[in-house]
Amino acid sequence: MTTARLSAASARQAIASPVTFSIVVAFLLGALIILLTGTDPLLAYREMFDGAFTGSGLRNTLARMIPIVGMALAISIPFRAGVINLGAEGQMVVGGLAGTLTAIYATGPGWMVITLALLAGSLAGALWGLLPAIGQTRLKLPILIVSLLLNYPARAITGYLVRFPFADPTVTSSSTVSVPAANRIPKLPWFGGISASIIILAVLLVGVALFNRRTVPGYETRMTGLNSRFSRYGGVPVDRQVVWLMIVSGAIAGLIGTHLVVGETYRFLDGDLVVSGFAWTGLLVSLLAMHQPGPMLAAGAFFAALQIGGLAMQRNIEVPWQLAQVLQAIVIIMLAGRFVISRRTAVEPDTIIEGESTVTGEV
Amino acid sequence: MFSQLFDGALLESVVRALIPVLLAAIGGMLCERAGVFQISLEGMMLLGAFAAVAGSYAGQSALLGVAIAMGSGALLSLVLAYGAVSRRGDPIVIGVAVNLLALGLTGFLLPQLFGLRGVFQHPRVDGLDKFPIPGLSDIPGIGGALFNLTIPGYFALVAVPLVWVFLFRTAIGLRLRGVGERPASAETLGVSSTRYKYAAVVASGVLCGLAGAQLALGNVVQFAENMTAGRGWIAVVAVMLGRAHPFGVLGASALFGFAEGLGFRLQGNGLPVQITDALPYVATLVALAFARRRFQRILDLTAA
Amino acid sequence: MDYELELRGITKRFPGVLANDHIDLAVRPGDIHAIVGENGAGKTTLMSILYGLVHPDEGEIAVGGRPVRFHSALDAIEAGLGMVHQAFKLFPTLTVAENVVFRAEPMKGWFFDRTAASERVRSLAAEYGLEVDPDARIEDLPVGVLQRVEILKALHRNARILILDEPTAVLTPQERDGLFMVMRRLKEHGHTILFITHKLGEVIAVADMVTVLRAGKAVAHLNCRETSSVKISRLMTGRDVALGERTSGSAPGDEILRLEGVTVTDEHGIGRLVDASLAVRRGEIVGVAGVAGNGQNELIDIITGLKAADRGTILINGTDVTHRSVNERRQAGLAYIPEDRHRVGTAAHGEVWANLLMGFQRHSAFRKGRWLRRGAVREHARRLITDYDVRVAGDDSSVATLSGGNLQKLVVAREMGHEAPLLIAEQPTRGVDVGAIEFIHSRLLAARDRGAGVLLVSAELWELLALADRILVMFEGRIVAELEANGTDEEELGLYMTGGQA
Repeated sequence: MTTARLSAASARQAIASPVTFSIVVAFLLGALIILLTGTDPLLAYREMFDGAFTGSGLRNTLARMIPIVGMALAISIPFRAGVINLGAEGQMVVGGLAGTLTAIYATGPGWMVITLALLAGSLAGALWGLLPAIGQTRLKLPILIVSLLLNYPARAITGYLVRFPFADPTVTSSSTVSVPAANRIPKLPWFGGISASIIILAVLLVGVALFNRRTVPGYETRMTGLNSRFSRYGGVPVDRQVVWLMIVSGAIAGLIGTHLVVGETYRFLDGDLVVSGFAWTGLLVSLLAMHQPGPMLAAGAFFAALQIGGLAMQRNIEVPWQLAQVLQAIVIIMLAGRFVISRRTAVEPDTIIEGESTVTGEV
Repeated sequence: MFSQLFDGALLESVVRALIPVLLAAIGGMLCERAGVFQISLEGMMLLGAFAAVAGSYAGQSALLGVAIAMGSGALLSLVLAYGAVSRRGDPIVIGVAVNLLALGLTGFLLPQLFGLRGVFQHPRVDGLDKFPIPGLSDIPGIGGALFNLTIPGYFALVAVPLVWVFLFRTAIGLRLRGVGERPASAETLGVSSTRYKYAAVVASGVLCGLAGAQLALGNVVQFAENMTAGRGWIAVVAVMLGRAHPFGVLGASALFGFAEGLGFRLQGNGLPVQITDALPYVATLVALAFARRRFQRILDLTAA
Repeated sequence: MDYELELRGITKRFPGVLANDHIDLAVRPGDIHAIVGENGAGKTTLMSILYGLVHPDEGEIAVGGRPVRFHSALDAIEAGLGMVHQAFKLFPTLTVAENVVFRAEPMKGWFFDRTAASERVRSLAAEYGLEVDPDARIEDLPVGVLQRVEILKALHRNARILILDEPTAVLTPQERDGLFMVMRRLKEHGHTILFITHKLGEVIAVADMVTVLRAGKAVAHLNCRETSSVKISRLMTGRDVALGERTSGSAPGDEILRLEGVTVTDEHGIGRLVDASLAVRRGEIVGVAGVAGNGQNELIDIITGLKAADRGTILINGTDVTHRSVNERRQAGLAYIPEDRHRVGTAAHGEVWANLLMGFQRHSAFRKGRWLRRGAVREHARRLITDYDVRVAGDDSSVATLSGGNLQKLVVAREMGHEAPLLIAEQPTRGVDVGAIEFIHSRLLAARDRGAGVLLVSAELWELLALADRILVMFEGRIVAELEANGTDEEELGLYMTGGQA
């Protein structure tokens, strides 16, 4: 088969794929919404595209991929075991503040303080992720609910800390002082200045990919996601596994939170980390990528471009960037409704267990 | 000090806080009874709040706002109904996405329609009136709290016994419970589980829309971005804690209402708002931890 | 003559299977008409067609002489049919009365008349001798009573024709006799009964007529007074049966499993397993008999480590594993074929190799440190597929498409492929076709012969009597009897199973 024919075939497949279809539908529905609210959709989409890929847009899109892909990675880890961490946001915020405070108040050479800050951020995030894990394994409270509810105290506690004990007295907003210049995560010269955190993220991506496919715990994690009773039957200590997965998930979320301040904004402003909804976007990216690190890069790039494009659109023609959120949500709803994605990391998502349903009807 | 904390005014703010949660939780309870895992209460409530304010602004009538709120809640609920019931998609994934859709949509529409961000207040927005019940509303202590409410407020409180009667004393209620427990068994007797599930989900959409309307036209008269602030999730927990029983759900909602009312009061006594805002969520978590029930169905659903 | 029920040329094809092949069946009013056949002969499909759950590709149905066409179970109910499914279709948290009247509720104005519902159940129960408390909740009732509720459900809907699908599969011999009394009582009241079973003794005991199905065809219609179970069995299988015959036992060796005084209490403080002691030696099969829910599941969970014992000790291969994990027990020599292959024994959406690895992923053969030795895993999977004749597209395909028998072979392959010295086999042949049953039986015997100790839990007493050397009987969480398989029979086992003394 010639390359041309091969690529034609795969192009056809790509166009016919549910993902493409869902994206097209999302953009069509989005256009309808823009039109109904009195703006030319073509203009809006053009602004989005230019904003995401031209000028400083490409750099911004790349920069935004760090938290989006990072949070997706964090969420995907327990997700492969069927555990839904809706509290990644709280873990990110708590970790972000711990990292920031370390970067501000620790003394020593810059690289050491930065390392300490990243460690502190991961640790705090891990602890915040550990709480719901204990809730599920000890008290039988679903992680889904408890982790989500913990987002609110996380927000409140950090808000309180930066309003009172760690407030910058020179500003009116609830914020810490700036991280000293020496203790900031450096920018790399590529693409006009991208945070060095991207290297950490790349290492994590490769690490998680290897863990998932090549290791015994990675295999066990996937099996728990497919059928936790099967895993337990096969000798996998599922409770301990869930605890570890949540710790790692929280740690990565905390790391991303630290990056967002120590590598981007340099001061922890109350609500700043939450407003962009990185954890939620990350969740959608993880779903879209079926929790695999490789596809996560593609899905993360897409959603990052949507958001950066959306912000540019808002700046230039005053159409709110939340359009990007709407498009993201529609894509996922379409895919979930068409069976393409599921919480199960399925081999063949469409097949159903054959009829022998002695178990379902039994009392 | 306690006598300062607990009085009629506190009870009033407790009832105020509990009504939106209760309305949403009743919707969630109907879904739970029908066997649909419903976690998009938050999103439907948020959209309802926005639609109520927009409708009230457009027609200068609170009732129109309420109607539009219920309609948009119902419309949004159809997304879950179609995706999770007809297409058998994952209810958790769809539920989360619906919440984000509502957040994005309201965040988009607020500046796009009203040209501002954050909070929208306008004299054209007609709030819900309170109707004191003559005689009863003058009872000291509880009168002002229980007998001087908006229409959705009264409706929420009356709905609790009504839903109980519906679930446990009518044939349709019996069938709904059957569908939720063993859809296949119900099907063999000719009861369409799809129809019951749709009805329950749409009812939850209407109720969440109403909850949003009460929040945005009753409790305050304004719309703020993400103004539901987790109340829909608290309603989800109320269904769990109340074991999907109307009076249990009322009790659980009252607990959160109490935590919020108390927080509001403590704020007046000088506690920082950041701390008091967290109170309902912490109370919820503590209540969950103490309930020590095994929420097996949700665990089964969420853990493969 | 007029038939109450007549099927003509019923044909149903499923992908790759001709489930029903031009089946004719005529049932006289007031008859108890048995339908027999092995697993996979097409009984269940035929009954599903009759009850409107499955639509036939060809053929006609007539009830009371009138041709009918069922689009759903509701049409069948309307026409006077009632079905008691093998897996009960009841609502656990609803009461008996609510279950009986579901969707045919007596009303009082706008409301569901609960008193009338209870009364209706009480009067029906009295009329047919189906003793049951209308206000009890289903989840609190034993299986035998649930069956009565299913029958009441059909009677409440004025069913004239009752279809009982393998009704004795879940009953003790004594409960079975009670059911037969009810069936005769129904017959006296003029009801017609279709009785699906694969137990021939029951056919002779209770039925008037019998239709034999084999490989989707109706091969014979016989009058029960003029036939014998030997003849029916030959028609059913197309050969003389080998199943159910005892094979010679062997000389048992060292002890491989020992339980001493093991007790498990549930959250309500009720003993699910009380002071259980037993021993299994190498080279023997020890059977466990009992009505479902009398502690067998707890016994297995305790041995395999899925549940912790409150008291007592468990030794595998001489090692005290009481406080050890599932994984450590597997390392000590445990293999386990679970009862529920779908929900416990496999991951439907996992690949064949991944399903064949579970439980052994921490064996040194399959890992180097934390790294999976993927080559070895695949190779092992391919070997098991060949050795155990598991029909799959490849070791990389998902197991979701495998048939029941094939899936069970996969589970058996995984658990027996490592020649573990201790094998726990829980209902290993439930719901699989006769070919797979023979295969699994021969593998169990082979395991015994190579010196493994086997603990076999089965609801099929004939299976225990055929395979086991000793049989333990469980009742209300206790091991109430230990019998030599050679010296006992179904009647004696049944008596112990219901708490009676021999």
